Amino acid sequence: MANRLTIGFAIAFAVLTGLAVIGVGRFLQQRQDFEDAVARSYQTEIAARTRFAQGEDRAAAREAILAQEQRRQSLRDDIDDETRDTALLVGAGLIAGLTGAALLFSGLIASMRRPLEELVEASQRLASGDLDARVKVGGLSETATLGSAFNEMASELQRRAGERDQLDRMKDEFVLTASHELRSPLTSVQGFAELLMLEREKLSTKQAETVEVILDNTRHLVRLLNDLLDLARSDAGRLVIKPVPTELAPLVDDAVRTMRSQTEARQQSLSQEVETGLPLVEVDRDRIRQVLVNLLTNAHEYSPQGASIGVTAVLRGAEVEISVSDDGPGMPEDQLEHIFDRFTRGDAGLTQHVGGTGLGLAISKSLVELHGGTIAAEAVLGQGSTFRVRLPAGATGDPVTEPARTEASR
Amino acid sequence: MMSTKVLIADDSETILLLLRTRLEMEGYEVVTATDGVEVVEAVGREAESAPDVLLLDAMMPRKSGIDALRELRAAGVDTPALIVSAHQDETDAGAPTDLDIGGYVTKPIDFDLLFSSITRLTES
Repeated sequence: MANRLTIGFAIAFAVLTGLAVIGVGRFLQQRQDFEDAVARSYQTEIAARTRFAQGEDRAAAREAILAQEQRRQSLRDDIDDETRDTALLVGAGLIAGLTGAALLFSGLIASMRRPLEELVEASQRLASGDLDARVKVGGLSETATLGSAFNEMASELQRRAGERDQLDRMKDEFVLTASHELRSPLTSVQGFAELLMLEREKLSTKQAETVEVILDNTRHLVRLLNDLLDLARSDAGRLVIKPVPTELAPLVDDAVRTMRSQTEARQQSLSQEVETGLPLVEVDRDRIRQVLVNLLTNAHEYSPQGASIGVTAVLRGAEVEISVSDDGPGMPEDQLEHIFDRFTRGDAGLTQHVGGTGLGLAISKSLVELHGGTIAAEAVLGQGSTFRVRLPAGATGDPVTEPARTEASR
Repeated sequence: MMSTKVLIADDSETILLLLRTRLEMEGYEVVTATDGVEVVEAVGREAESAPDVLLLDAMMPRKSGIDALRELRAAGVDTPALIVSAHQDETDAGAPTDLDIGGYVTKPIDFDLLFSSITRLTES
């Protein structure tokens, strides 16, 4: 439709331009004729004046002179009329042309504008994650091409996103199933090893040590399974916390008590200092306890025999900050950057026994963020590390589900 | 004093052997079942000397521990029951609240916790 409009305007232009050219040409010819006629009139008048000066038939000569003057006047009047008409014609043509051009352009712009606006709007919707965004294909051939290219792109994006979601679901499902299926054999291995240890006195020292190794590794496998399960849940947006108003001091106390036998076994001191009068925090107790035990386990395992480990909790503005610090080997800068990534582990060369899964800090970060808090690490090489967890102080809100994964968090 | 009778149900023979051994070492009398259908049969059959506690795996072929318990509760059996599950997810999601479940035991089994749960259920 817009194309027909363009062609119509082009034909109108051509006709108008042709008419103007013809009009101007005719005017120039008339002008030439006028000048010739004026020149002839002067010649006739000069001849008459000569006759008058020579005294021949003066009356007739005067009449002839006057007649020529009148003729020229009438010629001038005619040419003036012609000039005015031509000027009017050209002016009208110009105005018509300009108006036409203006109409054509506004028509063109209008016919492009709507599809373009629609494209802009659809692109914004697509960018904000609405993969159903499509445009109506139409208008000028260029905008139509653009529109169908956009629609193809959106369909492709949608297809790939669907594939990715399906793969993610398969992965999550796999981890859940694997974790489930591995639990029964692990239950047997751990259970029977414990059974052997119940009759430890019947075992040789070597046998008892062997069973201890089995038990140690079984517990490690169980921790790995639990951590993998937590991560899969977190990825699937199914990591759910059940926050209740909680006093921090007993929670810290509980975590410290859990770690006590392990730290004592390596003569590490374990201190706790919770500011008095701390406000309540709205947390899932088991999960925050898990975070604290994770941090304490790291401090314990990466620090040498005899190291000092401390937990403090203080109020910082509207947040409660829980810090776990040690005077262990610390970390170099480049390691610190990736400390919350999955399967990142510190250099275990300094200690003989590091039993972590490499997932604890990644899970801790997910859990703390699920509570609306933050977790950060500081370390000085050779002087120790500090992990700070900040949680919003005060109690509000319902159970929170982790928002589904975003690209930025991967 | 009669010893406490525990009915254990799991589709894994190894787990059954483990549970039986540990429970018998603790002085319990043990009967076993390998799926929910056997659980329902066993409870019916043992009418005179019915089990005092049920320890049922949540996921078993033919009939799950949850379904077996539902059937028993519908038949008026109020024996205390513990549900064993591979992980908390199974029970978190659709944990039936109307079956009077006495507690959950997750795998791998913490036997100290299991024994104290059984004691709690049989003494009350």
